[in-house]
Amino acid sequence: MSSQANRTSRTLITVWTVAVIVFLYLPMIAVVLASFSRQRYFRFPIPRWTTEWYTRTLESLSVRDLLWTSLSVAALVTVLSVVLAFFGALAFARYDWKGRKVYQRLVLLPIFFPQAVLGLALLLWFSVLGVTTSWQTAVFAHMIWIVPIVILIMSIQVYSFDPALEEAAFDLGATRWQVLREVTLPVLAPGIVSGAIFAFLLSWGNFPLSLFTTGADQTVPEWLYSKMVSGYTPMVPTLGSLTMSGAAVFILVIYLAWLAVAARRRRQMTAPDD
Amino acid sequence: MSASRHDRVSWLRQPGVLAALPAAIFLLLGFAGPLAMVFGYSFMPPKTFSLMQPPTVENYISVFTDSYYISFTWSVTLAAITVLLLFPICYPIAYGMAKLFGKWATLVTVLVAVPLLISENIRLFGWVLVLVKNGIADGSLQTLFGVSMSGLLYSVPAIVLGLVYVYLPFMLFPLVIGISMIPDTLKEAASDLGASRWQIFREIELPLAMPGILIGGILTFILALGSLAESKILGGQAIVMIADDIESSFTFAQNWPKGAVLSVLLIALSGIIVYALFRRIDLDQIIGRR
Amino acid sequence: MSEDSSSFLELDSITKKFGDFTAVRDISLKIREGEFFTLVGPSGSGKTTMIRMLVGMEQPTSGEMRLQGRVLNDVPANKRPTCMVFQSLALFPHKSVGENIEFSMKIAGVDPARRRQRAEELLTQLRLPVNYYDKGVNQCSGGERQRIALARALAFDPQILFFDEPLSALDFRLRKTLEKELKDIHKETGKTFVYITHSLEEAMVMSDRIAIMKAGGIVQVGSPHEIYNNPVDKFVAQFMGEVNTLAVEKAGARSVRGQADGATYQVSRMPEGFTSGFLIIRPEVMKIGKAAERLKNRVKGVVFNDYALGSRIQYQVRATATNEHWLVERLQDDPYEGKVDDTVSIGWQPADSILVSE
Repeated sequence: MSSQANRTSRTLITVWTVAVIVFLYLPMIAVVLASFSRQRYFRFPIPRWTTEWYTRTLESLSVRDLLWTSLSVAALVTVLSVVLAFFGALAFARYDWKGRKVYQRLVLLPIFFPQAVLGLALLLWFSVLGVTTSWQTAVFAHMIWIVPIVILIMSIQVYSFDPALEEAAFDLGATRWQVLREVTLPVLAPGIVSGAIFAFLLSWGNFPLSLFTTGADQTVPEWLYSKMVSGYTPMVPTLGSLTMSGAAVFILVIYLAWLAVAARRRRQMTAPDD
Repeated sequence: MSASRHDRVSWLRQPGVLAALPAAIFLLLGFAGPLAMVFGYSFMPPKTFSLMQPPTVENYISVFTDSYYISFTWSVTLAAITVLLLFPICYPIAYGMAKLFGKWATLVTVLVAVPLLISENIRLFGWVLVLVKNGIADGSLQTLFGVSMSGLLYSVPAIVLGLVYVYLPFMLFPLVIGISMIPDTLKEAASDLGASRWQIFREIELPLAMPGILIGGILTFILALGSLAESKILGGQAIVMIADDIESSFTFAQNWPKGAVLSVLLIALSGIIVYALFRRIDLDQIIGRR
Repeated sequence: MSEDSSSFLELDSITKKFGDFTAVRDISLKIREGEFFTLVGPSGSGKTTMIRMLVGMEQPTSGEMRLQGRVLNDVPANKRPTCMVFQSLALFPHKSVGENIEFSMKIAGVDPARRRQRAEELLTQLRLPVNYYDKGVNQCSGGERQRIALARALAFDPQILFFDEPLSALDFRLRKTLEKELKDIHKETGKTFVYITHSLEEAMVMSDRIAIMKAGGIVQVGSPHEIYNNPVDKFVAQFMGEVNTLAVEKAGARSVRGQADGATYQVSRMPEGFTSGFLIIRPEVMKIGKAAERLKNRVKGVVFNDYALGSRIQYQVRATATNEHWLVERLQDDPYEGKVDDTVSIGWQPADSILVSE
């Protein structure tokens, strides 16, 4: 009787989960469908299909500029955030020091902060300081939000790090630098890699912070938004689909690389049977 | 005196403090600084761009006597509705991920997290395509049943849909952490002691999962409260939310002090809630499972 | 062992304070070259702090540590010729067994071929198969991981090897095996081993000398035999396991009076200047029933529990006069047919009791 009820609720939960995942992907499927529609204004079911918008988008010089700007911002944000957040995460989860609990809370505040308001505050801040906004200021703005997130992600790994590993290496004669290179960095590598992936993709897709801080430069999400509100062109779903598939390919490549590394490590770590 | 200075120096030399410094200085410059400045502007006379004027509370008075309460009320209401809808939507999934799905839970996690990495406004634009006249919803209904359902877009329900959609992962993941903190044996013990399913949920699960529920609820509430894109892309001109008002004060109206006051009020509201949350939870326990 | 080597590692009035809390209080010790020395104490006794200072992870607040006359205090851990086997073992999870063992040699710049040769020697010495060289440390069993950690420390070729309760997480039988193995390796290598543990039993099996710590200080130093036969106080006596302790005061040249029952008990030896303290009698020297009736020191009581302890049986007896609980153990094949609720005599020989001050 009870196991019957269990099975029913298990089925219901599974069905519900699948339904919600479909709900999460529905709009993305809609964007991809729209990108293959010949009509200037989308209608469903799609009467005529085309790949014309892809050719046009890929040939457009302004799109190349957009992609280049987005890529530069995301790449720089990733490198800088990972370095700052690595030490931040050590302070968050590895070391015990007076003031740590306060630091933990303060450093997470930007995550809880409305991004649009943060973007506007930074716009004012730059103008008061006399800094001309450009894609570089957007890097700074993105990092305010992304560094705390990466700290959080890396901390999860740092918490499970046994400090005795560092002490053991030190005890065995390693210098501080050798301890970092030989033990701390390699053991924390999975956390660092996932932090970097999140940093890159969150910067790549960010809109509210970019909107107010890129000045004359424009990232892909900004351009998409501006064309959605005025001057709609079917290049919106097309470029949208392209960036989505870019993100998907990126995640897939990382995932495959991960599998390869894990497999190599397993091979390396398995002693021959004899 | 010299002893306290010595204490300060030795505090600074701890590895934890040294490691905290880079990020702390960066956030001081890029987060605390701008916020202090916004706070300063909120006391400047209307429409000034200088921080050197004699301070005044004029802006606060004008904001309270003006009709800004409308956008505030909309923001708070929609944020509350979002949280109330997200909790029952996410709880069963979170329960499944924490207790039932086993190795499939990783797949669900990835599937829910991937959309987070795709620009919010592309995904919201997808909803425009679904809801728009002759779009996916309308077009399907016309083809299948011959009924038309135009007018879905640019309405309050469309904004709520957008908020629920965008912030779903922010409710789901904290709930998963919260629920996985409940040891299975406790529920078995409760059931052994004669508790019904509903009693187990109310007496055991809910209180023990509370840190996760609080984080999820407050995170989604605050993010929805300060949201901008949902109401602009899906709501059209249907309503104005507080972030719209702040944006237009800073940009079109060029009234920085007024925008600053609205920001300060929004920050204060979010800040009180976050403060209450942080007092109740232990981050070491939740993130580090200690 | 010559007089010279008696001051191999010397601790001189070592004190360690954390804020207001004194973890280690004025400890002076001399550890001899080549001996297996164990610091034993309950948790919070300061033994972990002590070993962390010796390795160089903590600095003493005052006092001096000298290795062969050279002051160690300001030498950082990576420059000390000592090495520790950690409680968690701290095996590097991202390195293979071989890479773990070779770590210190890699740091010291030893060439790879020589490193590998030494690592394989150590694997053999520690009874591990040589083909474990490429195995992942997380694929090894608990006992294997212990041996790898020891091999890694030995590869460093330290003058002193420290052990921070490395066996505490293992199950009973494996622990017993490894204790003996560790003693063998101590003999084979001839190195100085300094070991800390909370188990006196473990210390007894392996050590040449034992220091017992309590609340940051050392209570007694001696060979296992000395400590077993002449505990200096009640703490040490009780630390060794279940014992009967009776509060007594001096009654005559060779007798004491029980404070609870007023009865007189014979002792074989009265410590100098003894006025009051405790009489310690181990359960295994006590006799029960007929066997007790011929003995000089006797107590009457009621058996209220018996436990089978493998080769022995333990009885809990409640003394009729005082309601105090006594523990008596007998070998399985000793004749005694008493049952629970029987009133019996229990007793011991004067020579089997130990008299300690407070």
